[in-house]
Amino acid sequence: MRALKRLLARMGNFAARRRGDARLREEMEEHLAMQTEENLRAGMSSAEARRQARLKFGAVEAVREQYHAEEGLPFLESLLQDLRFSLRQLRRSPGFTLVVVLTMTLGIGATTAVFTLVYSTLLRSLPYPQADRIVAIHDTRISGQSTGGLMSVPRYFDLLARNRSFASMGFFFFDQSTMVAGNRLPVAVQAAGTNAAFWDVLGARPILGRTFNAHDDQTKMPQTVVLSYRGWQKLFGRDPGVLHEHITLDGVAATIIGVMPPGVDAPSGIDMWHAAQFSASGWNYRGEGVRFINVFARLRPGVTAAMAQSDLNRIGAQLQGQYAQTDGMWRFTSESLRNDRYGALRPALLALQLAAALLLLIACINVASLLLSRGTARQREIAVRRALGASARRIARQFLTESLVLATISGIAGLAAAWALVRGAAAKLPGRLSVPGTIEMHWPVAALAAAVSMLAGIAFGVAPAVESRRVALNTAMKRGETRLGGSGHGLRSALVAAQAGLSLVLLVGAALLGESLWNLVKQPLGFVPEHVLTFSVKLPWDAENAAITSFYDAVQRRLEALPGVLAVGQISALPTKDWHLRSNFDADWLPRIPNQPAINAEDRSIAGNFLSAMLVPLLQGRSFTDADTRLRQPPVLVNQALAQRFLPGGNPIGRHLLAGGESHEIVGVIANIRGTAGSLSNPVGPEVYWPADSPGASAQGRYFVVRTRSMPATLVNSIREQVHAVDPLQAIGDVATMDELLDKSVAQPRLNMAVVAAFAGIALLLACVGIYGVVAFSAAQRTQEIGVRMALGATRGQIAGLFVRRAMMPAIAGLAVGTGLALAASHLLRSQLYGVRADDPRIYALSVAALLIPVLVAAMGPALRAARTNPMDALRID
Amino acid sequence: MGKPNDGKPAITPMKQKKDVQQGTLALMVLKTLDVLGPLHGYGIARRIEQISGDLLSVNQGTLYPVLLRLEQEGAVESEWGPSENNRRARFYRLTRAGRNLLEAERSDWEQTAAIIARFFEVKAEDLA
Repeated sequence: MRALKRLLARMGNFAARRRGDARLREEMEEHLAMQTEENLRAGMSSAEARRQARLKFGAVEAVREQYHAEEGLPFLESLLQDLRFSLRQLRRSPGFTLVVVLTMTLGIGATTAVFTLVYSTLLRSLPYPQADRIVAIHDTRISGQSTGGLMSVPRYFDLLARNRSFASMGFFFFDQSTMVAGNRLPVAVQAAGTNAAFWDVLGARPILGRTFNAHDDQTKMPQTVVLSYRGWQKLFGRDPGVLHEHITLDGVAATIIGVMPPGVDAPSGIDMWHAAQFSASGWNYRGEGVRFINVFARLRPGVTAAMAQSDLNRIGAQLQGQYAQTDGMWRFTSESLRNDRYGALRPALLALQLAAALLLLIACINVASLLLSRGTARQREIAVRRALGASARRIARQFLTESLVLATISGIAGLAAAWALVRGAAAKLPGRLSVPGTIEMHWPVAALAAAVSMLAGIAFGVAPAVESRRVALNTAMKRGETRLGGSGHGLRSALVAAQAGLSLVLLVGAALLGESLWNLVKQPLGFVPEHVLTFSVKLPWDAENAAITSFYDAVQRRLEALPGVLAVGQISALPTKDWHLRSNFDADWLPRIPNQPAINAEDRSIAGNFLSAMLVPLLQGRSFTDADTRLRQPPVLVNQALAQRFLPGGNPIGRHLLAGGESHEIVGVIANIRGTAGSLSNPVGPEVYWPADSPGASAQGRYFVVRTRSMPATLVNSIREQVHAVDPLQAIGDVATMDELLDKSVAQPRLNMAVVAAFAGIALLLACVGIYGVVAFSAAQRTQEIGVRMALGATRGQIAGLFVRRAMMPAIAGLAVGTGLALAASHLLRSQLYGVRADDPRIYALSVAALLIPVLVAAMGPALRAARTNPMDALRID
Repeated sequence: MGKPNDGKPAITPMKQKKDVQQGTLALMVLKTLDVLGPLHGYGIARRIEQISGDLLSVNQGTLYPVLLRLEQEGAVESEWGPSENNRRARFYRLTRAGRNLLEAERSDWEQTAAIIARFFEVKAEDLA
C-alpha cells in the first residue's frame, strides 16, 4: 500500500516533469544558514563556521542527485533520454538505418509469416468444440499398400457395434454429384455422403436450419442436404431463403435443411453433405469394392487415445479371425484429427520454420557486425562521454537502447510485411492450406513477432555494447592511435564465420529440395500431359447399365467429332487424384494359398481410346476392343510394375488373373503411370486396367481425357454443349488440363523449395554484404599500415592477398562447421526428399562453391581497392 | 542510473562506513517527529545528532531524500513556516499513517531485539 502510494507519487512527478529542485535548494540553504549560526554561537570565525556547516551537511550535489532519484522515476527518465538520442542518431545516418531495418524486416517477416502457417495448422485448436477428442480411424493393410485409410462399410458397422471407446462415430464419403436446383442448368458439385452421427462427432452447429438426424438417415427416408458455407455462397449466393428448397442430386429429390458456418470444412472444399442412409443390414459384402468411407469418432469422456487404439486392436483381431478371407490382412489405426489433416505437412512446415529462424539469425549476425563497425567508428564519441563522467554501463545501455529501437522498428515492419503476405498469399497456398480461414494471423503470432524482435534486438545489440566497454580512454582520445591493431577483429571474424556457416545450411537445404523437385518433375510420367483437357461426369447411382454405356458411348463419339480433337478416352480416376480402389487376385502362374491372395493391385477402368488420348505406351500385347466389353469375364491390361514384380522376365500375355471365381485374361502390358493413387512421389505399384463398360458392371462416374492439337479456349464450352445434348440433366465438373493437375500435385514441394531457396538467396546476399563490409572496414582502418607495408616493399598483390586471406579464413572455417550443421539439419528434410540422398556429396560441394565464389568476389573488391592505395597518401593520412 | 563517480574513491555519502541505513534513519525521523512535534530538517538533524551521538554528524544532507520518501509514502506532511530567525523553513509533521507506521516498526524492532538478546544470553547448558 505504501509502496503503491509512493509509486503513484513518483509517476505523477515523472509525468508532470515536476522537480522539487527549488524547494530542496531553499531547504538546504536554510539548513546551512542555521548550522552556520549555531557554529558562530559556538565561537567560530564566520569563514570557519560556514566551512564546518558545509562539511557536516555533506556533498550537496550527491544529496541533490539522490533526492532527484527518489523524486521521479530515474530509470524511465534516462530511458526516454536514450530513446531520443537513439532516434537522433538513426536519423543522422539514414543509409545505415535503412540497411539494418531492411535486413531485420526480412528476418522477422519471414519468421512471422512461416510461424503463421505453423500456428494455424499445428498449434491453433481446430474449429470444433473439444477438437482434441476427435480421432480419425483408418483401415490399414498389415503389409503392402493401403487405400489411403478408407474403411469398408461393414467394418464401420462392426466397429460401431463392438467399440467401448467412442461416444459417437461418423463417416463421410466423397460423392461427385450433379445438382439441379429449380429451373437452373445442372451443375457438378462436391458432395459428401455422411451419417447423422457425423455431426455429433464434429460437434458443429448450423448457422441456418438444422443438420440431418437419425430419422433422416434411415434407408428410404426423403433425402436431406446440408450446405457448407462455401456451397451456400457459390451455389445459392448466400440466399437465406434456401432452407426447404428442393433440389435433385444425381437424379434424387432432396430438401435443403441447413447451412453450416465457414469453419466447418470436412472434407475440405466440400459444397454440401447429404444423408448416407446406410444401415448395417444393407452391407453384407465385405470385399474391396465397399472400402470408400472416411471414419471419425469422438472419444468417450475419460477414454484416452491409447485406450481407444487398444480397443480398435481388439476389434481388429476379432474381425481378422471371423472374416479371414476379407478382413485377414486389415487392422484399424487411429490418429488425432489434427494429424489426419495436417500431419503430412508437419515435416515440411517445421523445415520451413527452421529455415526462417536461420535466416533471422543470419540477419541478426549481419546487423551485429554492422553495429560493431559503427561502434568502432564511434570510439571517440564514447571516449568523450566517458571522460565527461558517463559510466561504462550507462554507455553500454545506450548502445543496447539503440539496437532495441532498431529492432522495434523492424519488428513492426516485419509484422506488417508478414500480415500483408499472409493476406495476399493464403488463398494461393497448396492443398488444404488454401481453404479460407485456415491460414490467418492471430494474436499469438503477433506476440511471437514482438518477442522475436526484442530478442533479436538484444542479440545483435550485445556485441557492440560489450565492445563499447572495452574502449580505452587514453588511446581513443588520441588521434590515429587506434588505427593500427584493429580492435574487435576476433569477434568480427567469428561473425563472418557464423554467417558463412549458417548460409551454407540454408543453401544445402534449398539445393536438396530443388534436386528433389527436379527429380519429381523430370521423371517419366508414363503419359504425355501436354494438350490434354480433363473433366468429370457422374451419372446417378441407380442408372441402368445399358443407359450408362450408351450415354458414355454417345459422349465419346460426339467429342471425337469435335474439330481439333485428336483422341478421347475415359478412366475411373485420373492420375494425381487421391482416389483408391484395390482388389486381390490370384494368378494362374502363381501358387494359390487360401485367404492369401497373391496379388493386391490398384484397379482402374478405362474406355474409349484412353491409351492414345494419354499417349500411354503399350509395351506388350494389345489394347481393349469393342468385343472385350461384351464378355462376361472381360480381359484386363496390367502395368509394367505388376508384370515385373509377379512375372519377372516372363510373358504375361495370355495368362490369367483370378478373382471372385472369375478368370480374366491379360491381353496387354502398359507403361507405369505415375500418380495413379495420389502423389507423384509414391512409387508405382501393381495396377490392373479393366474395360469400363462391361455387361452388368459399367462405371457411373468417369473422367474424360481429351487430347487436342492445340488447346482452343472454346473447347470447354463445346464439350459442355455436347454433353448437354446427350443428356440435358448431366453436367461436367472438375475441368482442368492435365498440366494443371500435375502442377497442383507438386505445388507443396515447389513451395518448400521456393521458400527455402529464397531464404538461401537472401542469406547468401547478406553473407556477401557482411564480408564486404568487414574487408572494406578493416582496409579503411589500416590505411596507414598499408602505407608502411608498401614503403617496406610489399607488392600490391601481397596487400590484396593479405586482406582476402584475413576475410576468407573465417569464412572457410565457418563453411567447415556449416557443412556439419547442414548434414545434421538435412535429416529433418529426409521425408521431403525424392531421388536424392540427404548426404549427397555433390550437393554439398556445389553449395560450398556457390557460397565461396560470391563471398570471394565480395572480399576482392575492397582488398583490391586497398592495394591500389598510394603509399604516400596512406602515410600522410592524419 | 549509474552511481555517480563510478569507480573513483569518491566522497559519496552512501559509502561511508558509519552510514545510517535508510530504514533506520527513517525510523529515527519518525520517532523524533513523534516526540517533538513539527520540526524543520535542521531541527530533525540536530535532535538525531544529539540522541545518537556523532552518527549523523557528517552527512546531514542525506536526511532530505529520506524526508521526501516518507512524504511520498504519506507518513509525514510538510509545509512552509517561519523559522527561529524569521526566515522560511519547511516544517515536517507526523501524519496518522506515520504514527501507525512508527508503531508497527517499533514493535518489529522490539521483537527482533528481544530475539537477538535471548540468543546472546543463551549458554551451552541451557540447550542441553
